[in-house]
Amino acid sequence: MEKQDIKRRFFYPVLIIFLIMTISWAVYSIAWRIENPAIHQTLATITGTLLFLSVTFGTLFIYPVAYFRGASLKERILASLINPFLWATKENLRLLISFSFSESLYYYLNPLSIWLLCGLVAQMGIAEMFCRHIFKKRGEVVHVLTPGPLAAVIISLFLVITLFAWGQGENVYVIFLEGYRKIFGSGL
Amino acid sequence: MDNKIKDIFGRNITRRDMIKLMGSTAAVGLMGLASPVMAGNLQIPKGGRPNIVFILCDNVQYDDFGFMNHPFIQTPGVDSLARDGIVFENAFITTSLCSPSRASILTGTYAHKHGVKNNHTAWTGQKTTFMEYIKNAGYDTAFIGKWHMPGKGLPTIPSIDLFVSYTYREGQGSYMNCPLIVNGKHTPPKKEYLTEELTDRAIEFMEKNRKRADGSQRPFCLYLSHRAAHPPFVPPKDIRGMYADKKIELPGEVDSWFSKTNGNVFQGIMVGSYENQYRKYCEVITAMDRQIQRFLDKLDEMGLKDNTIIIFAADNGMMWGEHRCHGIRRPYEEVIRVPFIVRSPWRAKMTGEHRKQMVLNIDVAPTILDIAGVHIPADMDGESMLPILRDIDAPGRKAWLLEFWKYYPENTPSYVGVRNMTHKYIEYEKTLKPQLFDLVNDPREKNNLYGTQKGDKLLPGLKAMMETLMQGNKVR
Repeated sequence: MEKQDIKRRFFYPVLIIFLIMTISWAVYSIAWRIENPAIHQTLATITGTLLFLSVTFGTLFIYPVAYFRGASLKERILASLINPFLWATKENLRLLISFSFSESLYYYLNPLSIWLLCGLVAQMGIAEMFCRHIFKKRGEVVHVLTPGPLAAVIISLFLVITLFAWGQGENVYVIFLEGYRKIFGSGL
Repeated sequence: MDNKIKDIFGRNITRRDMIKLMGSTAAVGLMGLASPVMAGNLQIPKGGRPNIVFILCDNVQYDDFGFMNHPFIQTPGVDSLARDGIVFENAFITTSLCSPSRASILTGTYAHKHGVKNNHTAWTGQKTTFMEYIKNAGYDTAFIGKWHMPGKGLPTIPSIDLFVSYTYREGQGSYMNCPLIVNGKHTPPKKEYLTEELTDRAIEFMEKNRKRADGSQRPFCLYLSHRAAHPPFVPPKDIRGMYADKKIELPGEVDSWFSKTNGNVFQGIMVGSYENQYRKYCEVITAMDRQIQRFLDKLDEMGLKDNTIIIFAADNGMMWGEHRCHGIRRPYEEVIRVPFIVRSPWRAKMTGEHRKQMVLNIDVAPTILDIAGVHIPADMDGESMLPILRDIDAPGRKAWLLEFWKYYPENTPSYVGVRNMTHKYIEYEKTLKPQLFDLVNDPREKNNLYGTQKGDKLLPGLKAMMETLMQGNKVR
């Protein structure tokens, strides 16, 4: 496998998803101002879908592209996490409208971020095995199923499902709030 | 000469009835002063003071009922209350968050006075609840359902004879298989669906009240507090999907992705399109209504209808995309305006009427005390609604205070404001620009007048009102 330069194996795949994410977010955020309901709804549906897919499932694009371009495991993981991290950071900064900086930092631990992280780990595991499978089909000697990616998929998918199934996420949210109160009290 | 006179509700009673009623009321009052225990043992004659049922729902927009011409929601139970009772078109909550609003209902005071400022601030019991006053006046009392005020477990409130609630999930409970706490004891539910369980408990309480071991009959005060329609929305199995084929007309400013995106991918813990969330919300309301209907039927069956006053309200309204906001907290009309109905059956000729005067959640406590003939404590901020119930032209309040304290992680800064019949003015603690709306010409609050010439003219008067209210005085 040829190791391409850092731009091609790392930055470009990240940038493609980043652009989809930011452009769809920008368009989605202003679409409601369009007075024509048909245009508004169409734009919102398209950009809302793209936004959701880019933040939540962007890894399924970034990880394989980085893999096939020779990125190391560390680079692949980092590349997969950058965009969701930026998104979560934007969400945290949004809280500064009402709360302190330290309270906004605590928001990294909110159940949706945890849920998203678990989902990303599962996707990385799936993507890793998928890429190996392709390589194997091309005749390279590679083990498709190894404990690392398998464990990543099984554990993180288990968490994704159980965190939601456990009271539709409400119980995890309760733990998040209890943690907040232990640190910040009532916040007043 | 007509020897009939009218009681507090305006119903005709004879002088003899009146003397009996006054006698028993005076006796209760005197004995209550002398000894709460003796007052607690007093027997109130049948036909004396009415039973009082207060039904509270959770986060329901004021017009999500059949009687408000909703396009599809079925609420025959609440519709019948509206038909047989009096609908308050301008009913509001003074703090747009669950726990503070609930504490205001119980204590008749603004949140800055009772101290439960957000859903993280503990209930300290520093203010007396109306349940305590009414218990001392000889009522049997029950609080059944969602308490939802922070603190370690549920408080001990001796004045409540039957206290059925839950602390599960921050006191929010769950629609399915919610573990209960009954008079301090952890108790598994008998029914799968919480709304049905609570209704069963309410009916049991009424039946026990009617079958007291000593054969006496005392009036009762029942506070029935439903979880419905708080998210996540879980309707019972036989109602699930009832509105699946209904077309949902969202406010123009939102779209199907709104719940998940709204600029932040997901909102809350909602999964599915915004329209589907709204359908489920409606199904939860219909499920609650079915239980309200069952409760009302039981009231009829027990022969209590003619001596029971029913108050139906919500702790908050709800925004479904209006102003590109979801949920509660913001000071818009969809949030602060709540459904409010009072059914007092002996005023049959006035049923189905509407009232325009502004009434508040803090009025519930003084109104209930007034109904029960109990002196309204001076430290209650609310006012009895009885004059307005009696007289469609009775003067209402001029203005009231709207207050909110930030509640993590919901992204709304603390604010304070004032609302009168025509305008609303809001000042935020930080970040956001003040808002001033002309509610007559701009009922959807689209045009912020703050900083405009018109707004500048209105501002001094509104600020003066706000200051007066913040100092604990009424605006006359």
